[in-house]
Amino acid sequence: MAWIKWIDDDQAHGAIAEVYDSWRAKNPGRQGIPDILKCFSPRPDFLAQVIDFSNTVHFSDGHLTRQHKELIATYVSALNQCPY
Amino acid sequence: MNGDLAESSFPDNERCLLEFTETLTRAPHEMTAAHVERLRAAGWNDDQIAEAVYIIAMFAFFNRVANAFGLDDPGIPTDPETG
Repeated sequence: MAWIKWIDDDQAHGAIAEVYDSWRAKNPGRQGIPDILKCFSPRPDFLAQVIDFSNTVHFSDGHLTRQHKELIATYVSALNQCPY
Repeated sequence: MNGDLAESSFPDNERCLLEFTETLTRAPHEMTAAHVERLRAAGWNDDQIAEAVYIIAMFAFFNRVANAFGLDDPGIPTDPETG
């Protein structure tokens, strides 16, 4: 359970349910809404923007290839979990 | 993956990109024009460098949200095509 209250998939109604449904429709085969996205459920309007932001910047070829983006993202996450 | 880039087997251009990533993640206040110039010297153009900055900053954002909500896993959304 998260330390800050969020809205789980089975508790979602109204605006947040619409955003969750939209994400599910675009991600068939995925099991449930990722926890990181639920963190934004207190602001469904912002969650929708976060999803767009992530898709635009990360999950697309831009000036960098997706492989190089994944390399950077993996390294940032690793660094942020390292005690230093 | 950890910070031991010096002994890594990444090609030079990727190692340089990861060193830049490390500086902007661990010590963003230490970033200088020289860091950007090193990326150019390694063959990256300014559009690519700009996009790298967006990715690094975006993941810092997601990592901190995950930290504060107490996610066991960083829970970063995975690539719908590869992950």
